[in-house]
Amino acid sequence: MAAATNQARIGRIGLYAFLVTTCLFFSIPLLVVISTSFKPLSEVRDFSVFQLPAQMTAAAWGKAWQSACTGTECAGLHIAFWNSVRIVIPSVIISVLVGSLNGYALSHWRVRGADTLMLALILGAFIPYQVIIFPLVKIFSTVGIFGSVACIIAVHVLFGLPVMTLLFRNFYVGIPNELVKAARVDGAGFWRIFLFIILPLSVNMLIVAAILQTTGIWNDYLFGLIFAGHNNTPMTVELMELATTSTGVVEYNVSTAAALLTALPPLLLYFFSGRYFVRGITAGAVKG
Amino acid sequence: MTGVRVIGVSKSHGLLRVLQDIDLAVEPGEFTVLLGPSGCGKTTLLNTIAGLDIPDSGSVFIGGRDVTNVDPSGRGIAMVFQSYALYPTMSVRRNLSFGLRVRSVQRDEVERRVAWASQMLQIGELLDRKPNQLSGGQRQRVAIGRALVQKAGVFLFDEPLSNLDAKLRMETRVEIKRLHQELGATMLYVTHDQIEAMTLATRIAVMHKGRVIQYAPPDELYERPRTMFVAGFVGSLATNMMTTRLSPGDPPMITLGTGRFPLDRYDFTSAPAGDRDVVLSVRPENVSLATSGQAGTVEADTLFTEPMGADTLAWFTLAGQRISARLDPHAARGLTGRVRLAFDLDKVSLFDPASGDRL
Amino acid sequence: MDDAVAREPRALTGTLAERSTPRRAASPRVREVAARLALVPTVLVMAVCFYGSIVWTVYISMTRSSMLPEYGFAGLFQYNRLFNSLSWQTTFDNMFIFGFLDVVGTLGVGILLAVVVDRHVRFESLFRTILLYPLALSFIVTGLAWQWILSPTIGIEHFVRGLGFPHFVFDWITQPETSIYTLVFAGVWHQSGFIMVVILAGLRGIDPEIWRATRVDGIPVWRAYVSVILPMLRPLIVTCIVLIVIAVVKSYDLVVAMTGGGPGFSSDLPAKFVIDYVFQRANIGEASAAAVIMLGSVIAIMGPYLHFEMVRKR
Repeated sequence: MAAATNQARIGRIGLYAFLVTTCLFFSIPLLVVISTSFKPLSEVRDFSVFQLPAQMTAAAWGKAWQSACTGTECAGLHIAFWNSVRIVIPSVIISVLVGSLNGYALSHWRVRGADTLMLALILGAFIPYQVIIFPLVKIFSTVGIFGSVACIIAVHVLFGLPVMTLLFRNFYVGIPNELVKAARVDGAGFWRIFLFIILPLSVNMLIVAAILQTTGIWNDYLFGLIFAGHNNTPMTVELMELATTSTGVVEYNVSTAAALLTALPPLLLYFFSGRYFVRGITAGAVKG
Repeated sequence: MTGVRVIGVSKSHGLLRVLQDIDLAVEPGEFTVLLGPSGCGKTTLLNTIAGLDIPDSGSVFIGGRDVTNVDPSGRGIAMVFQSYALYPTMSVRRNLSFGLRVRSVQRDEVERRVAWASQMLQIGELLDRKPNQLSGGQRQRVAIGRALVQKAGVFLFDEPLSNLDAKLRMETRVEIKRLHQELGATMLYVTHDQIEAMTLATRIAVMHKGRVIQYAPPDELYERPRTMFVAGFVGSLATNMMTTRLSPGDPPMITLGTGRFPLDRYDFTSAPAGDRDVVLSVRPENVSLATSGQAGTVEADTLFTEPMGADTLAWFTLAGQRISARLDPHAARGLTGRVRLAFDLDKVSLFDPASGDRL
Repeated sequence: MDDAVAREPRALTGTLAERSTPRRAASPRVREVAARLALVPTVLVMAVCFYGSIVWTVYISMTRSSMLPEYGFAGLFQYNRLFNSLSWQTTFDNMFIFGFLDVVGTLGVGILLAVVVDRHVRFESLFRTILLYPLALSFIVTGLAWQWILSPTIGIEHFVRGLGFPHFVFDWITQPETSIYTLVFAGVWHQSGFIMVVILAGLRGIDPEIWRATRVDGIPVWRAYVSVILPMLRPLIVTCIVLIVIAVVKSYDLVVAMTGGGPGFSSDLPAKFVIDYVFQRANIGEASAAAVIMLGSVIAIMGPYLHFEMVRKR
């Protein structure tokens, strides 16, 4: 019996050892990037990223924000930051609302062809972007908005459509149809029921969807690169520019600071809304 | 043959005392049912005996061996679970044999036991199916089979019939009773269904709020309930609980409405002293319509009747309280107005209204 | 939260199986108009931007288009050219190498972590927070961070040499033979937390009586996981595999940020190949052919999966 508890104790210790080791492995990249971003330039060359800074300085952060060179311009990432904000906010609002409206129409109303549309959406969620990206460029050029903020917002809404719709549909299927029936007996129509009954019931899901979309769109690189146009490039694209633009010495401290600046909004979102975030990524996994 | 003894077992979840100083002795070959409403601690007690829950204090003996700190698999028990807990990805055969294989029982011995159990339960033709291809009753049999192959001395059943429909429940009940008689093994059985308890048990332990209130054979439990709770819980028709007045004397008398009844053969736990209110428990089958001229009767007003086929349950008001009688359907037909009722005073129970204990 | 997580990864495929039970609305026709109108934009967008575009791409892949689209039918000309080009062969093989290792690694680490966390460890939420944060990072940031860590000049190699092993070599990322493997590190790091959460939710959904039964049966915990519990989660694990594979096919940002597809094209993946051929090499025809191959890969995975899911749910 004593042997059994001893064995169990060894098992527990092994368990925690494994967990702590793995957590270390998982946090090292972030720690390394953080520590490098606080190094002065003199400590960057010929130093490994694993060495802690001897002297702490936030200079690299300032440079990454204000004056680092991305391609030919040297104004840091602050313009791109605001570009990202301008892209993310409308994209998220529109795609979440459209998704919720679609989900409601598909779950509580009988619409002819709903099954076909559902199938089309499910498959749409899995289609590689590459298959439709060039036709989209053509379409947007024809319409005349290619390379504008409107264009990149449209692209994000477009690609968010399948997942957002399915997310909300599956959520609304769980709301009893009797509720909608009762409202209709009371004389409410499609829109009124949506606004006054369905939306108030979906606050949690709206948050989950908004977080999912915010993270996804903020972290997008491909669409920003192709559709946003030169004056609206989002932060991820500028970060790549910054990290690959080198004039002589590679300023890893500035690059790491820039990477952190770019990663900060979704990271904060993650740390402060963990519950919703986890629901979002698992529900919208197909987007990844 | 293995007996089970539980001595002074207590267990708390936070402030909730799930088990309070439980003592219970199950003789070898006995069929003990732990009976009680949900939340009374009966499943926790069973899990404690199984080793799935560890008591805060007290000890558990199985076959004379202190197993309080022994793993479930080392206790010589087999268990049937409420949800059956069949391994869904394994065939019936593998469900039966898996535990034995892991414990490296010899191959031919495993096969022999599986064959024996499947013959015993008539599940031979199901052996190659998966659990999700079985009906509820068949799953139940497989779950019992998985317990049988252990060749354990003690069988534990945790509400095994609660997921079956009424008809299957009755059939399986008979089956379990037959198994008990054929195997002669010790069985401990948890249920909240008093009919199951009455039909299966050699002894029933009625539990309430973490305590064993009464541990007795079914007929004793039914006829001499130790508390008001037991009287109310046991019996498929609810017993009548009437507030009456008890006056001492020889014999002591109880007064109910217009009637006065002598209790000359009632076995008092202590002789009554002084006039006092008591609760009289009289079962519906011990209430009858009085024949004319019968002594010791009381007036009551008919409320309505509920025909149940073999009997009819008739409801009356008596001194402002409701009372039911289980009557012959012919006698009850067309019953209206004022009637006279008689009681079988040999089969009543009296309780203290404050403590609920038997007088 | 956990049960929600458990349900949702399969939400998308689950909806397919549900389709056969039509939702009763029993509405007068007038009411349906609003619902239908609300869906019109979605239908149009799906028809034109998704499926119309696919048709267009498939068609272009069968023409001789290069910089500008041409519409003369040329059969499998582009595919022929594609599969005869060395860079596509490498790219195509890379998809399988990266895909296989990424699935094995991510699934292995994810399941192991889920099992460990399932053993009622303390500080569970802290561990989960740490194991899951990579998912909040973009593949660009992930790729850059791993590029720096694996870089021989500033990363592990430099660090270990500094510790007193001057001949230590770890330069996989700069070697054409090994660069593709470095993507696996980042991929596993980024995604195994997600797999952990999904599997953990599945584990938490297991009937506790199954666990009790294994204890009464005397089955060791590890054996219970291997023989009883994980087999019960097989549908969930298959879903995870499909999700990882789809992510592999779509991998673009990670390659761009980490290796740039290099050295040469040694770590190129189809998703990047297509974009490069469209926008840098201006070769729409060959790019479209490659894109169609990507689509085919996804269909080859999704088709059987959706089919079995539907059969299983019936």
